[in-house]
Amino acid sequence: MTLEAIDVRHAYGDETVFDGVSLSVDPGEVVAIIGPSGVGKSTLLRLLALFDAPDGGEITYDDTPIWQLSEKRRLEYRRRVGMVFQEASLFDASVRRNAEYGLRVRQSWTDRLRHEVADLVGKSNGTGQALEALETVGLREQATQDAASLSGGEAQRVAFARALAYDPEVLLLDEPTSDLDPRNTAMIEDAVMEARDRDIGIVIATHDMHQAERIADRVGVLLGNEIIELGATERVFDDPNDERTRKFIDGELIY
Amino acid sequence: MLTPLVVDFPFEWNYIRSIIYVSLYVSLTAVALSTLFSLPIALFVGFKDFRGKTLVTSIINTGMGFPSVVVGLVVLFAVSNQGPLGSFDLVFTTEAMIMSQFVLAAPVITGVSLAAVSSVEQNVRDAAYAMGGTKLDVAFVTIKEARYGIATAVLAGFGRAISEVGSVLIVGGNIASSDGTSVTRTITTAIQLEARQGRFETAMLLGAVLVVLVLLVNAIVVRLGSDDGGYR
Repeated sequence: MTLEAIDVRHAYGDETVFDGVSLSVDPGEVVAIIGPSGVGKSTLLRLLALFDAPDGGEITYDDTPIWQLSEKRRLEYRRRVGMVFQEASLFDASVRRNAEYGLRVRQSWTDRLRHEVADLVGKSNGTGQALEALETVGLREQATQDAASLSGGEAQRVAFARALAYDPEVLLLDEPTSDLDPRNTAMIEDAVMEARDRDIGIVIATHDMHQAERIADRVGVLLGNEIIELGATERVFDDPNDERTRKFIDGELIY
Repeated sequence: MLTPLVVDFPFEWNYIRSIIYVSLYVSLTAVALSTLFSLPIALFVGFKDFRGKTLVTSIINTGMGFPSVVVGLVVLFAVSNQGPLGSFDLVFTTEAMIMSQFVLAAPVITGVSLAAVSSVEQNVRDAAYAMGGTKLDVAFVTIKEARYGIATAVLAGFGRAISEVGSVLIVGGNIASSDGTSVTRTITTAIQLEARQGRFETAMLLGAVLVVLVLLVNAIVVRLGSDDGGYR
């Protein structure tokens, strides 16, 4: 599935976050959005994840203007997308139940009830897909542990597995490694690469330019209300069109 | 001379048992209905911004300390012949008692639940939505995350309902039937009557039952408060 923001404008009250922003992600592609903190990277991702409708422009999923659909149809599209936030935001439950959440909400109410009962009496062995996703982030052994007992890095890997478990076609990652140590960061990046190889389209917001350089196919630079540059990673880093991009990459830009 | 093996307590066991039954029936039903009513309100007030939200919160908080005799008076008026529910013939019935305890317990359950659901972090709710959850799914996640606080709310509501005397006395009338069992007599109203009539043993026994019930509820609240586990 191709996700696209077309000429999008968004404001909080009177304060415009950005205006005229366009961005797309194709299957099997990693697009990084880089830019300083507070520039609206998270807001853009939240618009792509359909948390809010943009104040102007269009969000399309497979060329379908998503906000013109009924809520039910929009939910069908929304369920093809996964998201990981800066904070792990895990539920107060076991690792396995966290990883299974996306699968559960896609089930019928009777099936969900059946699983709840099986869990309560300790008869549930877990869902294969959720355990596979945990395997991808190296946490299958911890499936029965309480999520609250995990370290920050492990928790974020579970959050990644939770978004991966229901086979999304697009993953939106909002600074997923900004609070992590190098080892956990590497594990998340490996999982991102694995997801890309499975033809998942990925948009990652990051202020870590080295990370963007390592994993992204294309990079968009969000600065001062707009995307000032968007192109192949190597080109943007080696030969930026916009002087502000070069200054930002070199750490010269004071904003 | 042989002492009797069984000490003859001066209690009418059927009488005592029927009083406990009426008390539990009225309070448990009122609390169950209050919970069904209060939880959606707590979720709505907790997470929706609307005009008059502060006013609604103040009303809930005021309701938590509302005098039970006044509630009894208002419910009695509502079910009396002149009142809006007069045609249902509810004066001095357990149904009227359930209504008044509902009015007393609902603000407590709403208020404490509101505090519990408000403490659920927005990013956890966002995660539920982003994983493909509907608004209903997000509400369920919120309830699950706040489950200990909500359980505390329900038990606090039960504590208020089972131990209050003013409103059930007014709307229930403290009636016992001719065969000596309770019709609308609860533990609290019976204690009041038995003490006034000088039957202190019965009043003390009922008092002990009430204290044990309230202690039990509080023990559960404390236990829940200290429990850190989710389910595995």
